[in-house]
Amino acid sequence: MELIERYIYAVTQKIRQEQREDIAKELRGLIEDMLEERVGSRDISDKDVEEVLLELGTPRKLADKYRGAKKYLIGPELFDSYLIVLKIVLVTVASILGVIFVVQTILDPVLILDHFVDLIVSTVTGIPMAFAWTTFGFALPEYLGAYKMKDIQIDAEWSPADLAPIPDEKRQIKRGESIAGIIFYAVFIVILAFSSDYFGVWVFNDGFSGVVPFLNERTYGMYLLFILLIFGFGIIKECLKLVSGKWTYKLAGYTLILNAISMAVILLMVNGPTFWNPDFMNELAQAGVVTAGSEGYEVGQKIWEQSTFWIFVLLVIGLIWDAVDGFIRARKK
Amino acid sequence: MSDENEHLDKLMQELRRGTITIGVLSQLSNPQYGYSLVTMLAEKGIQVEPGTLYPLLRRLEKQGLLDSKWDTNEARPRKYYLLSETGKSVYDLLVVEWKSIVESLNHVIENKGDDENGAD
Repeated sequence: MELIERYIYAVTQKIRQEQREDIAKELRGLIEDMLEERVGSRDISDKDVEEVLLELGTPRKLADKYRGAKKYLIGPELFDSYLIVLKIVLVTVASILGVIFVVQTILDPVLILDHFVDLIVSTVTGIPMAFAWTTFGFALPEYLGAYKMKDIQIDAEWSPADLAPIPDEKRQIKRGESIAGIIFYAVFIVILAFSSDYFGVWVFNDGFSGVVPFLNERTYGMYLLFILLIFGFGIIKECLKLVSGKWTYKLAGYTLILNAISMAVILLMVNGPTFWNPDFMNELAQAGVVTAGSEGYEVGQKIWEQSTFWIFVLLVIGLIWDAVDGFIRARKK
Repeated sequence: MSDENEHLDKLMQELRRGTITIGVLSQLSNPQYGYSLVTMLAEKGIQVEPGTLYPLLRRLEKQGLLDSKWDTNEARPRKYYLLSETGKSVYDLLVVEWKSIVESLNHVIENKGDDENGAD
């Protein structure tokens, strides 16, 4: 009986969400009818179940029939996840651009017209870019996946015993986590890409008078690319999780590869020209936040040096843990 | 030899695809659930796999040719399908078309020799 549930699960997983429950119910009825006709009054054996499932054909083929023809850039298997991710990305990008506009206007009300032009420009360039990259990110695996299946002919040899068990609770990936992750990465990308000037300590002397940036403005252009790469990988990772729905060795492997590349990039950043603003404390002193040579200045200096170092360390630890965690969860039956 | 069979299989599959729809519509003046329809059609010499019929029923329903209703009174919940008003008229039109196809094809097949003679 377990086999029947696995079969139904395998079929309905590949079908659009709204139809799943109904098709599952109908399919269950059908299988029971077919079993009943096959065995008559004697007890149903596992062999009977297998034969009935074989008669119905592979879950993939049956699901294909339910879905109709396969002509699409992003198929029904991925489409739900695609829509979710697309909505998240667009809403995040749009709202961040809005927030940036509001903040800029509050800080610099005189230049509202300039800020507004900025807003329009970044909306016109940012939104289609977000749309295009998200679509591309989903179309690529769809294309590769379809291509691979035609090549390997998985369906040629199939037996119901091949059906994957329904994943354990602990292996399942909650949609909410992935969505939160994607929003987090997207927010950082947009903030860093469009308004790094505001990423620092805000100085108020009779109103807003400037920002002491955290980052080194001279090397920032180069590092922006690295940062986008790391956070972009983060988004890809979350998308993979969202699509997979459960931890597998394959997913953990992808996570490991992406995290390893991110780590390599971080090490490059640590060893390369200064990433953080080298004059941070001096500029703070000049802005009048602290007095040079005072005790507060020393403490600030220490905190600044330590925290900039530890941020990298924590990032690396986080990446390692993320990869290890994936494998641990994938191991759970 | 197996090559011929392969061709035949493929062509028959295509041929059946359309005729099954007519067969299904013809039996649904009274409500039926999927498996009863499989048995019914089989008795009348029309072999259709459940894996083909069930998605087909759903597609026809989505197109508006069939109405459906779950019957949960029996031990096993079953989804019953029935011709909709549109389905009825489409079926009548389809039968006319089908008859004309049969007639034309019969004509083509039966008169094959005659035409060849005539061309000589």
